Amino acid sequence: MTAKLWWMIRKDLLSEYRSRRTWPAMLLLGILVAVVFTVQMDLPPEGQRRIAGGLLWLAILFAGVLALDRSFALESEDHCGEGLLLYPVSPTAVYLAKLLVNVFALAALEMILIPLFIALSGVPLLAHPWATLLVAGLGNVAICAIGTPLSALAAKIPERGNLSALLVFPLIIPVLLAASEATRLIAEDRLGAEWWRWVQFVAAFALVFLVSGTVLFDFLVED
Amino acid sequence: MNRLKNRRPRGAALVDILAAAAVATAILAILFVAPTEATMGLAQRIVYVHVAMAWLGLAGFLVMATTAAIYLARRDLAWDQWSQSAAELGWLASSLTLATGSLWAHATWNTWWTWDPRLMTSFILWAVYCGYLLVRGSLEEPHLRARLAAVLAITGVLDVPLVIMATRWFRGIHPVAPKMDPAMHGVLLLSVAGFTAFFALLLVRRRAQLRLDGLLADIDAGGVWTAECGADETHPTPHTLPFTLHLEE
Repeated sequence: MTAKLWWMIRKDLLSEYRSRRTWPAMLLLGILVAVVFTVQMDLPPEGQRRIAGGLLWLAILFAGVLALDRSFALESEDHCGEGLLLYPVSPTAVYLAKLLVNVFALAALEMILIPLFIALSGVPLLAHPWATLLVAGLGNVAICAIGTPLSALAAKIPERGNLSALLVFPLIIPVLLAASEATRLIAEDRLGAEWWRWVQFVAAFALVFLVSGTVLFDFLVED
Repeated sequence: MNRLKNRRPRGAALVDILAAAAVATAILAILFVAPTEATMGLAQRIVYVHVAMAWLGLAGFLVMATTAAIYLARRDLAWDQWSQSAAELGWLASSLTLATGSLWAHATWNTWWTWDPRLMTSFILWAVYCGYLLVRGSLEEPHLRARLAAVLAITGVLDVPLVIMATRWFRGIHPVAPKMDPAMHGVLLLSVAGFTAFFALLLVRRRAQLRLDGLLADIDAGGVWTAECGADETHPTPHTLPFTLHLEE
């Protein structure tokens, strides 16, 4: 199972490395959004610390949806998805592989956007590196856990336009709010019970949608 | 052949009258029986409709997801028709929740919209309903449409606990269960019951309409002819159908 999972992850990463169709666009969009947002942050330091978390997660979400959307759209070209499902692996493994590739994509995005936000705004988002890492990691998994099955769903729809973004955004809003609040509290140096409650919320959300995605993915790919 | 008949069961007219009477009684009670609230005045009467709509928006979501799950288990399009009916009515109730809530908020908080977890989660439910209906509208093949919509409905319903938890986990300004005068409480319950009866009737009627839509689509596709009438698949003969569609009583 692990070896097969790795091969499927490798297939997607190799495909992306050769074609460079998604990640550069995602990273560029993230950088553009971050620059535009930070230009608007002409506020006193307290105000900047208050809104930096929300703007950071908005930038991650806007750019990240691009990667989520492409993760299954690629498989709908030239019947690649059918070939993928002919692999001697369960659909759950396919789902987990796609999920992990999306997690890698968003992790790369976060690794660029967080330092960029710090450089452009001066907000100390890395004042507590482990706390930031925890929130970024959980938020990343939560977004991908919801976004991956919805991307598979949208890929089944012809002439779908930006449907996956329309499906993903409403469900992601709670995670976005919780992760933004947790990041704001890090920037304000307030790692107390309130911060921990937001972190738990994001973790619970990620867990719920990881389980549901694993269970429901079979229904999305059966044909 | 029986499935082609659309005769309404006996007593259906009585159910219609009872549902109409229930909702009419609720509206009259809201207008004339409920006492006027001292601080908010007449605007407080919006709450009776708002709470009923919020409940129906939530109930529609649960019906939509439950029937969707049953569809996935049984693959019977009848359950998908229930799911679609519940989603459409739930969307309507959810839209009215946001509209009435906004009107009440303007009268009470002096703002049309404010940051509050319950408001946001209500909005999220409405947006998920919109996504569900968009997905349905984008697909033609009935079983593919039913399957994808069912997955989305179940994914969406997992958001519902957040609606409930959000008010407890986060600090909001939305009242959770304010103390009410017994007369107000009675009218509120009557309103919820009346609108629920009315929406249940609409649900049944909409599902019956979708069932007929499905049958007509079968006829258009030639499925019914070949399966039940033995007509030539490539040359159906609509004028020689050996059955009657009872569209009206």
